[in-house]
Amino acid sequence: MGFLKILSSLLIVFSSSLIGYYYGNKYSLRLENLLYLEQCIKILETEIVYGAIPLPEALTNVYLKGNKKVSYIFEEVKSNLLNNKDEDLYGSFYRVGSKLIEELNFTKEDVELFLSLGRLLGSSDRSDQEKNFKLLLNQIEILKDEALVEKNKN
Amino acid sequence: MQYREIGIYENVLEYISLEISQVLKKIPPEFKANVEEIRLRNGLPLNIYCMNSDYFVTEDGLITKNKDIGKLVTKQDIIKTFQLISNYSVYAFEEEIKNGFITLKGGHRVGIGGKVLYKNNEVEKIKNISSLNIRIAREKIGVSNKLMQYIVEPSNTIYNTLIVSPPKCGKTTILRDMIRNLSNGLEKFNFKGLKVGVIDERSELAGMYNGIAQHDLGPRVDVLDGCNKKDGTMMLLRAMSPDIIAMDEIGSRDDVEAIHEILKAGVKIIATVHGSSIEDLRSRKSLDMLIRDKIFKRYIILDNSKGIGTVKDVIDGNSFTSIKY
Repeated sequence: MGFLKILSSLLIVFSSSLIGYYYGNKYSLRLENLLYLEQCIKILETEIVYGAIPLPEALTNVYLKGNKKVSYIFEEVKSNLLNNKDEDLYGSFYRVGSKLIEELNFTKEDVELFLSLGRLLGSSDRSDQEKNFKLLLNQIEILKDEALVEKNKN
Repeated sequence: MQYREIGIYENVLEYISLEISQVLKKIPPEFKANVEEIRLRNGLPLNIYCMNSDYFVTEDGLITKNKDIGKLVTKQDIIKTFQLISNYSVYAFEEEIKNGFITLKGGHRVGIGGKVLYKNNEVEKIKNISSLNIRIAREKIGVSNKLMQYIVEPSNTIYNTLIVSPPKCGKTTILRDMIRNLSNGLEKFNFKGLKVGVIDERSELAGMYNGIAQHDLGPRVDVLDGCNKKDGTMMLLRAMSPDIIAMDEIGSRDDVEAIHEILKAGVKIIATVHGSSIEDLRSRKSLDMLIRDKIFKRYIILDNSKGIGTVKDVIDGNSFTSIKY
């Protein structure tokens, strides 16, 4: 009987630790991935604002130059874009957006920021694109701060 | 030959919204092989220009002169087509859009209509795009062969030549083919290929796409794409040592100045101009000066009386008499 009590206590402690670790890890992964996403957006900004590289090529360059943990989503956007003639750019981002919560531990706010890229990219001249990138990078800064607070709390 | 022409047409359809391209895929093959322009206008019927006439296209791909049964083009079709032609990257075509057109792979040119915004007295952008005119580039290899005898000089050079033609009579196509012949050389006349500098202000001669000429201009050609004639002339003369400079659609005072610079450098010139006759050109002050100074030794007059690119006359620039035989 005593042995059973010890075993069940250990089981409770172990499973609680595991759940704690899982949630803690989720928060730290979110922060890490937001950092990688920020890097990817900065690469994309350079490609577009300074290189005037057409979007499909720019998306591939982001995939190649960015951290693959996150940058693969940009290659997926590109292939959605080129393989679905009837779809617009936002549609191509939207298809990838649903994956971000499952695979990258992003929140709905993070996904929304990613989707706003789909609304803004490519539709205006370079100076407008630059302004949009500035705004997006400010927003991601706020999300990163929030992710850090969440991480420390958990 | 028709198979190739249809292939060109179908490549162009890749740049058009799915709904409209599916309609255009259904038109009869003889039209596919000859379409020169596809016009999309917001809220208006789908329009093509083909074999010297314009037609509307119905939902089922039938060709008609009745505008009321033409397939209506929607704003969404225009937006999607514009995204496809700009490769989802308006920023990458800023300068072209300011000039009112984008050049596609294959040398096809898309004219853009919409709300033009100005900044510092210059076109800043075009927004609210309301119409697109897709001009299908159809290279006509060999169309200038019969004209080469008039412009080649025995001393392996050429006469300064001006191609005079009303719009849509093939002057650019003939100039492009002449450039190809001059750059390749012509065995028939024992003419060795010469270095040709091309000032392609409207991106029509070479149809450059990503730095690659989409039309065959021969092996001895240097192209300044999107460059105005005055700047282009100085750049070519300083750096590229051309034997001939070719340019399309001269007419302004700056163009005339550029031509004088070319002559000063001992380089030959071959150019085109809008017009129907020498008398017509004389009514324009800047061109009249070129005619009076006998700068051009050959005038090739085109019209479309027997189809696009009909050579109406070839005139000697000294005597102003016809030398066509």
